[in-house]
Amino acid sequence: MDKDMEKKAQPQEDQSSSSSSLVQKIQSLGQTNVPQAPDSNIHVLSIVGQIEGHIQLPPQNKTTKYEHLLPQLIAIEQNPKIEGLIILLNTVGGDVEAGLALSEMISSMSKPTVSIVLGGGHSIGVPIATSANYSFIVPTATMTIHPVRLTGLVIGVPQTFEYLDKMQDRVINFVVSHSNIKEEKFKDLMFAKGNLTRDIGTNVVGNDAVDYGLIDAVGGVKDAMEKINELIENTKGSQQEVIQ
Amino acid sequence: MILYTPLAETDIFPNEAGENVNRECVSYNGKQVYVERNNDGTYQVLQLLSTDPQDFLDSTYAPGTILK
Repeated sequence: MDKDMEKKAQPQEDQSSSSSSLVQKIQSLGQTNVPQAPDSNIHVLSIVGQIEGHIQLPPQNKTTKYEHLLPQLIAIEQNPKIEGLIILLNTVGGDVEAGLALSEMISSMSKPTVSIVLGGGHSIGVPIATSANYSFIVPTATMTIHPVRLTGLVIGVPQTFEYLDKMQDRVINFVVSHSNIKEEKFKDLMFAKGNLTRDIGTNVVGNDAVDYGLIDAVGGVKDAMEKINELIENTKGSQQEVIQ
Repeated sequence: MILYTPLAETDIFPNEAGENVNRECVSYNGKQVYVERNNDGTYQVLQLLSTDPQDFLDSTYAPGTILK
């Protein structure tokens, strides 16, 4: 145990040596970094693999842990140098409550947020994609919309179905209230038969997601950067009006 | 816990016991990094957990780098 502690302490020791190298740079070059120059005013949050919630998943799963992301979102909200947030999504879904927690956090941020769905934004990735102020999907990306199912111990009582149904309603309500899709349309996609080989539901591809109103526009990095800069300008403009 | 994913449960929770992995999340120079502990006691970067895109240009935190 003591050995572990020593090993963990090593990286921190290195911190002091790197700060002294920074001092050396200042002394030899006569300058330090211009404030804000290396800092990006737009931060990037990538949500990849499984969204890990209450239970730690086995190590072969690539996961995004929500307990890592929630403090980062608060830090972004608090830091005055950060003006916008881009969310990169390539996820196969995961824990419902962790996904909804992330979605609510992103949607309740005061700073402009833009999401890009790359590759796949399946299942619980759908509410996360719609939680941003503006959402993009690349033409090749897909989003699988399917009913919420139980994993693990299932007790075959009517209450189980009701619980599942309520859980599903939370997802549906979030998506419907944060995108332009109609509730009936989303439910149609969710319970469609014959689209998926082993399940009911729909695999929505890039352009279709925009046609259904689920995602705001088809586009990639360039479009997202333009949009976030536009949103940042808008918020700056509105803040100035308030001051006057 | 409810997982909402198109993956099958067996894909996420395989039956065989997982290999012994020495992965942990540590703070290095104030940045959160996900590292793997090698047999010789060094730490190798697996993933940088940061929202600042500039951090990813810093080779110190590039995946595979051995932290000293």
